[in-house]
Amino acid sequence: MIVAARLIRDRRWSTLSWALGFVGLTLFTVALYPSIKGQPSLEELLADLPDAFRSAIGYDAAVPLSSPAGYLQARLFSTLAPLLAVVFAIGGGARAIGGSEEAGTLELLLANPVTRSRVLLERYLATFGLLAALLVVFAAALLMLAPPFEALVGVAAADVLWACAAVYALGLLHGSLAFAIGAATGRHGPAVALATTVAVAGYLIETVLSAAGDLGTLRQFSPWHWYLDRNMLAEGAAPAAVLLPVAVSVALLAAGWVAFRQRDLR
Amino acid sequence: MSEPVIKAVGLTKRFGTVEALRELDLEVERGEVFGYLGPNGAGKTTTIRLLLDFIRPTSGRVEVLGGTGADPAVRRRIGYLPAELPVDPRWTAQDLIDFYGKLRGGVDASWVRQLLGRFDLDPTRRVGELSTGNRRKIGIVQAAMHRPELLVLDEPSSGLDPLLQYEFQQLVRELTDAGTTVILSSHVLPEVEALAGRVAILRRGELVTVASVEALRQQARQRIELRLARPADATRFAGVPGVVEAQADDRRIRLVIEGPVGPTLEAAAGLEVQRIVTHEADLEDVFLSYYQEQPA
Repeated sequence: MIVAARLIRDRRWSTLSWALGFVGLTLFTVALYPSIKGQPSLEELLADLPDAFRSAIGYDAAVPLSSPAGYLQARLFSTLAPLLAVVFAIGGGARAIGGSEEAGTLELLLANPVTRSRVLLERYLATFGLLAALLVVFAAALLMLAPPFEALVGVAAADVLWACAAVYALGLLHGSLAFAIGAATGRHGPAVALATTVAVAGYLIETVLSAAGDLGTLRQFSPWHWYLDRNMLAEGAAPAAVLLPVAVSVALLAAGWVAFRQRDLR
Repeated sequence: MSEPVIKAVGLTKRFGTVEALRELDLEVERGEVFGYLGPNGAGKTTTIRLLLDFIRPTSGRVEVLGGTGADPAVRRRIGYLPAELPVDPRWTAQDLIDFYGKLRGGVDASWVRQLLGRFDLDPTRRVGELSTGNRRKIGIVQAAMHRPELLVLDEPSSGLDPLLQYEFQQLVRELTDAGTTVILSSHVLPEVEALAGRVAILRRGELVTVASVEALRQQARQRIELRLARPADATRFAGVPGVVEAQADDRRIRLVIEGPVGPTLEAAAGLEVQRIVTHEADLEDVFLSYYQEQPA
């Protein structure tokens, strides 16, 4: 795991700053909860808003926004947390092979006694190991910082962990896409661009468009649908939100591996 | 006779419609320093990248150390100095040495220290802060630090000052004395001439010739200058075998001679020659003539 260890070392400071960002976001969010929970008028306000807006903030009529599960879903789990995880994962995934090949450093590494497969696999594990570390920090921050503000009342710790695992899986999927495109093309830009496009399109299909029209079938293919289908904090784990993205990620990794082994370096 | 260290057979590489290398047949023997010469774009780097399995041949094959460059066990025995050293600018030389050292299964620490000392390299500075010459030195150290059996050098002395070029040449000689084989790619002659026994000349993806430096030197024209006691003209050299050019200028006669110089000296016997000035055999001209030769 020498290659993986080197990548983790190279990204330790940037990952740490991301982790601090997650902790800060969590603290800020739970600290605001006490001022929200006594406001039932919020529900009335939301009832008048268009469906598209409500689904964009992950609103679910069965879970009041003033409850911890409804509040955390709206403020964190349907918006910022997955967004940040996806951005982090796409950045790391695109750099792992495509970015380093474009910078020229990959070629010199491959002059050493390592196979392409080993470099690919170790960098994949390291990149998404860092994403996992980030989500562990997030889960720990939430579990430790929310109780003083009563922002986890009625929410099982296991469900928090499931929800964080689902955020991880969503990031993993988009990061794996960027990783695979980078591995197949040896380029950084297209990997970021395509993976970002898929993330944005998937999000729009699940939230804005599906609320506006009938996109029933198309919706089933959006990773954001798997993820946002239910409020896991209130309604418990949705195994599909973890298993489907992981399965797709494995397929993407395999595709990237096949392409990377066969092609010429740039 | 042992197996050649590098053996290319009909090695061809096309990038789209561009033929970067065409039907290359080449053998590099164990222990030799093999010069690989050609103008930019002749296919030198393409050959090296094929050798290390960075790119794959369109047709033909290349064997390295009895195996393939795709095999990590083979790459363990190769040291590679690329034309440019792309390293993460935040790394220090020490980071690179540690990382690559581990990948190569550990290196002799005292040898690495000795290399750093010889090239006067501070391993704690970040690569991004270093000059081109210093980055070059890191490239040399990482290529030599595991005492490879085969050194692949791409334009090795570009960016090195004369003192370091000398140090580098000493290092290469030491390694070859200990049995290392070297392939040295370059577009300039002096660095190859200083080290190589045999050279291949490449032009537009095709091998033009493989010859010893000595043979090329014999092919090279000699330039000599006769300094005379009194003015003379050059007409007496007109029919002399080997003389391709003769010019008189007051008390000097400048001659360009191909092949043995004997007949010229006989022809000069009647002149009151006070001094003969010779210039280094002009290998550069030989190479230029190969470079520029039009395809048949």
